[in-house]
Amino acid sequence: MVAFRNTDASGRTSGLLLRCVLYSLLALGLIIFDKRYDHLGQIRRFLSVAAYPVQLAVASPFEGWDWFRESVTSRQSMRAEQAKLQAELRLANFRLQRYEAVEAESQRLRALRDNTADVAARFVIGDIMDLDLDAFRERVLVDKGARDGVFVGQAVLDSGGVFGQVARVEQVTSEVILLSDAAHAIPVQINRNGLRTIAVGTGDMTRLKLPYLPTSADVVAGDLLVTSGLGGGFPAGYPVGTVAEVRRDPAQSLADVDVRPAAALDRSRELMFVWLKPSAATTADGSTHAADDSPAANAPAAAKPAAKAAPPQSAHPGGNPR
Amino acid sequence: MMRDDQPRRLPMVFSALLALALAVIPLPGPVDAFRPDFLVLVVFYWSIESPRAGGLTLAFIAGLALDLVRGMVLGQHALALTLTAAWATHLRLRLRVFSLVSQSLTILALLTGYQFLLFWIDGATGNPVTNWSRWLAPVVGALIWPLMNGLLGRAP
Repeated sequence: MVAFRNTDASGRTSGLLLRCVLYSLLALGLIIFDKRYDHLGQIRRFLSVAAYPVQLAVASPFEGWDWFRESVTSRQSMRAEQAKLQAELRLANFRLQRYEAVEAESQRLRALRDNTADVAARFVIGDIMDLDLDAFRERVLVDKGARDGVFVGQAVLDSGGVFGQVARVEQVTSEVILLSDAAHAIPVQINRNGLRTIAVGTGDMTRLKLPYLPTSADVVAGDLLVTSGLGGGFPAGYPVGTVAEVRRDPAQSLADVDVRPAAALDRSRELMFVWLKPSAATTADGSTHAADDSPAANAPAAAKPAAKAAPPQSAHPGGNPR
Repeated sequence: MMRDDQPRRLPMVFSALLALALAVIPLPGPVDAFRPDFLVLVVFYWSIESPRAGGLTLAFIAGLALDLVRGMVLGQHALALTLTAAWATHLRLRLRVFSLVSQSLTILALLTGYQFLLFWIDGATGNPVTNWSRWLAPVVGALIWPLMNGLLGRAP
């Protein structure tokens, strides 16, 4: 105690201990309030507006460089890219021709089964800001926030498939947790046979895993995984990834399945925020839940009640379960 | 080395802002784990150099800024940085006469303490990061301490 009250060269006591205790208590109070109650959501949103200039200042040189590189690309490469895009568009249009009819048919059939899946109603495009948030968590900052109606738990897609979900919303930005974050899980379905399970992140952007499939499960490398729409957070039928490898150890009861994500988690720059059709989104709970919530979830059927029963906030593993 | 006589607020604020920018500047994946806590080093430097110019206040505000740009819980970095900066301020008279190597070792201890507090708060609030590579940052930070000391010492 006494040792802390060092005197400066001028002979004044610095009151270090007092200030240290004061600030520590203040910080501790912030932690407790932020963690226990959601009282700080508004304050935090407000404060982060102050941090926005710094984030913008860091991100803009990189964006400027991208812009510069884009504007000096040669005419030839532009032409080549245009030709490629046109070919892609033709192909996409070709595939779309039957889409409307198939979707209507699917809705009709689902209505018969009284099982209307959530359908995406509205999209907003957001750009990833060039910032590193945390080396140990798979998160990105996107330039759409509360101002644009983004909410916590919202599904986020990129052009390849499901990208992640919104973990935190600030005034003009939001933090998106990637599918591959070790704390993220998403209910999926194997497109080939409808087998439901949960895909869990690994902390590696190029790999997800399916930890709850029994060794006898019908899954082979190359299977396409799509969102099952169970739990209500994600729209149904969007690609999550393809099965890369299935390892079956006869001594284990669960298979070891690696999945390659469909979304370009490490390359995408533009993301789509999805709003579900309100009538379909009857349950407002998040679609994912932490892996440890369902220890016996090797039965795919367990995914449904678990996801449904989970309370809104604990169902969302976005790292900030208030 | 500069004494406490005339507080140097301007370079202090400027270096802190620069360090905050360095804390979020994008680095390629593998290098990212080696990123030292620049802002923490800057706060330590000013805590040791001129604590009366507001070392602890700077620590608290810098911590809050870190919470805002990368934190999981508001107040996490603020608490860790306040405590370790107070520790650095307490050690400052000894640190000033240390050789650069001993200074770096002390900074390593301070940075490890900082990282441990973060680790502990992460665990207590239910977002544990058990990745071993988070303990790399203190080592890198201690290694670049002499360099930073030289750079900031020459600030006007």
